[in-house]
This record gives sequence, C-alpha cells and structure tokens, in this order.
Amino acid sequence: MSTLPVGLSRDLSAKRVMRATVGGQDLVVWRATNGEISAWDNRCPHRGMALSHGFVRGNTLACLYHGWHYNGAGTCTYIPAHPDLDPPATIRTNRFSVVEQDGVIWVRTDGEAQAPDLPGGLEPLRVFIVAASADQVQCGAAQVPYEGQMADAGAVLHFGAVSVMLLLSPLGDGRTQVTTLASAGLTVAQRSALSRWCEATRRHVEAQQEEAA
Amino acid sequence: MSREHALNDWYAVADVPGLTRGPRKARLLGCDLRVSGQVDDPVVTDEAGHRYPAQVRYDHIWTTLGDDPRALFEIPEGEQPGRRRVPCGVVRVKCSPLRAVENFLDIAHFPFVHTDILGAEPHTEVMAYKAEIREEEDEVWATNISFYQPQAAKSAGGGITTKYAYRVHAPTTAVLYKTCPPRPEEMDVIAIFVQPRSETECDVWPWMALYDDSSEFAELVQFQQEIFLQDRSILENQRPTRLPLDPKMEIPTRADLTSIAYRRWLKRRGAYYGAMTEDA
Repeated sequence: MSTLPVGLSRDLSAKRVMRATVGGQDLVVWRATNGEISAWDNRCPHRGMALSHGFVRGNTLACLYHGWHYNGAGTCTYIPAHPDLDPPATIRTNRFSVVEQDGVIWVRTDGEAQAPDLPGGLEPLRVFIVAASADQVQCGAAQVPYEGQMADAGAVLHFGAVSVMLLLSPLGDGRTQVTTLASAGLTVAQRSALSRWCEATRRHVEAQQEEAA
Repeated sequence: MSREHALNDWYAVADVPGLTRGPRKARLLGCDLRVSGQVDDPVVTDEAGHRYPAQVRYDHIWTTLGDDPRALFEIPEGEQPGRRRVPCGVVRVKCSPLRAVENFLDIAHFPFVHTDILGAEPHTEVMAYKAEIREEEDEVWATNISFYQPQAAKSAGGGITTKYAYRVHAPTTAVLYKTCPPRPEEMDVIAIFVQPRSETECDVWPWMALYDDSSEFAELVQFQQEIFLQDRSILENQRPTRLPLDPKMEIPTRADLTSIAYRRWLKRRGAYYGAMTEDA
C-alpha cells in the first residue's frame, strides 16, 4: 500500500477529529491544539471504541467511552478512573505515518508516508466518494464534459485553461475516495461548475457500473 | 459450538405490556419466533410451529431453545413488597450481547457517556472495589463500589455518592443494586435482560424494582431509556463487534475488575456466543 490521500488539510482545523479509510483500514485523523496532525487505527486499545468519536483536550485525543487521553506519539497519558496513575507505556494506539502536502493529508499504513510530487499550479477543490474502482473512476472522468468541453486524456485533465487532477484512494470495499485538485485562482463560479462536474462524474461512473452488472 | 451453549439459557423475548397488546415477533440466536397467548399462558413458537417452553418472570416472557435448560435466576429483592416493578421497554443495539452486558457492568464511563446524570468531571475516579467469581453460585459479583453521581435516579434530588453492587448470573443478564435516593438504607434493583438476536445484534430489556412513590411510570421509563440510548452510541462503535476473550486484545485497568472477571467467567463456561476467542 502506497501513500494515499485521506482528506484536505483545510477540513481538519485545530482540535478537530475526523474518520477516514484507506485500503480497508479504518482511521482516526485528528489535529492537536498546537497544529500537530496524527493518523491512527480508529480503535481505543482499552475497549475497542472508535476514537473518531473522541474529543481533543490540549494536545491529546480523549476516547469518548472512558476519557483515556493519548498524546501525539499515541501514548496513553491519562486514565480518568485513576487520576494519580502513571499509565503504563505499553498502552498506546496503533499509529500510521501521515504528512501534509499541497493542502492534502496523506497517510501510509505500511511505512513512512511520502507524498508524490504533484504538478504545480493546482489547489484542493473537494473530496467525494464513488462506488467504483480507481481505474473505473480514472477512465470514466475522461468521458464527462466540463462546460461542453472534453478533456485531453492524461493524469491531469485539461479543459482549456482549467485543469483538474483526481487523486484516487481505494477504500477497500469497492469504493474509491476522490480528492480533486483544480487550477489555482479559479473564480467561485468556476469552482462551483467544477464541483458539479465532480457530481456528474460520480453519476456517470456509477451508472457504468450498474450497466455492467 | 458457541450457539450450543447459549441454547440452554433462558431469554426475555417480550414484556408483559407488549404481549397484552397482542402477539409479537422475536428473533433469538438467529431463530425467528412468535410470542403469543395470554400473560398467564404465553406461547412461543418458531416458523415450523414448534413450541418452546415459556414462563413469565420479572414482567417479561422468557423462553429457551435448548433441551436441557439451566434454571432461570432468582432476584429475591425484586419480589419485596413496596417496590415498583418497571419494565422499561426495549432498545435494539447492533452489538454483541456480551458487549451490552459488559457496558452495564462498567462505571468508569459514567462521566463521559452519561454526563451530568450518572457522572460528571472532575468526579471520574473509580475507587478500589471487589470483583470475584463466586464458585458456589457460579456467578460474577462486584461489591463495595461507590461513585459520585449528579442525578443517580429519577428520585434523586441532587448529587450523591452512590453505592453499587453487580451480579451476573447468566451470560446475557445482569443485576445492579444501587443506593435508593429516597431510602438510603435500601437498594434499588436495576437489571438488563439481553435477548441475543444474533452474535452481533441484540434487543436489550431494562427492568427496575424501585422504591419511588413520586415519579410517574412514564418518567421512570424515560429516564432509563435515555441512559440506554447513550450507551448505544458507544456499543455500536466498538471493534471488533464480538467481545474479545483473549486478554491481549484489549488492555484493562483496575477500574475494569468486573469486566475482567466477567470475561474470565464466560471463557471458563464456554459461553462464546457473541465472543471472540484466540482460536476463533
């Protein structure tokens, strides 16, 4: 499994917690008060509760069930049932490597995350999920016109002066999460139109799957 | 094999108010049942028309699917005169029946899940208590528990330190004895009867026998329903869904002594329906 996008930096402000998935791995991704980001197996080692329901206290993530605190290193720092106890160092979450680059949060579950070098001049547009494989999304997107124009085929789709790049993360259940980047400096109207193109792409690709089935 | 063991326990499949309104469907251990008849003569049948034993206890209709059922437990305090017996309806939860019981045995979650009702920060400490498997009764008991509660019961006027004791007599039923706010010398009785629909889904029937002369019946039910709906938001988000009996899979602390004893007791009984074991 390579380094894959799980969401946009701007959607995860300080003290926020989100749930994500890559390749079937359920993740909690959260940002501490100091801005540090973490991506872990979405499971409290105590009683298996999804940590994505938890809350940020300072620079720790607290589990909703019993309030156990975990710092950015994934180490349990506080057990409210025993306020005077120094929790054993063995209580720790299962951490994954995470980096932020080009406004995108990237995670790798089996090694050190390294975000790919993307073409310049792009910025995040939106994230959406399609019930199809990554290949099917890539093929289908090239068949959907934007403002009446068809794209040149390639990793980056060019609709005249407007460029779009789709970063594809298989979710492991047959669906694909699509992180969309678009030319920097577009107008609000252009971004809205591109967002509708994303919806049209999703419908087109899912309709192709239904026809094939 | 796990289902074989579970077949010989008794399970609540309807409550008396429900049966009074007419027949109802129930699902138990993956088997579709129909509960009908009268409260003094309930009838439990499956789709093929096979009739199973049925009895009415604690305001619920109980049945068993096995050929050699263990005895249904006794809650002697529940029969005491002056107590109000309150069947609290049913809450369906997509979780293991054993996870539902274990959550009922847990007090450390009160300040976080039942905030400002059964607990509140900064009163989070769980003081030392005793948990054991009583060999003679073959039951799990937890005693000497006390915990600060802002609103321990509908009848509580304000925050009190509540005394608790727990008793588990079958894998899917548990009883809680807790300080009765209007009569501090007595204990309220609160039980959960968990009906395993499958290993990963259950219907939970809370039942109470209280000293409370002032609250409306509907208020008492409402209070318990709110508590159980809060628990559901936890129970449907635990992974793995089935309760791990391998101690290496989930790390406990001192506050979890009851849970540790419960898991150990399930394991030695072979009560694996809704559980994960090392070899499964």
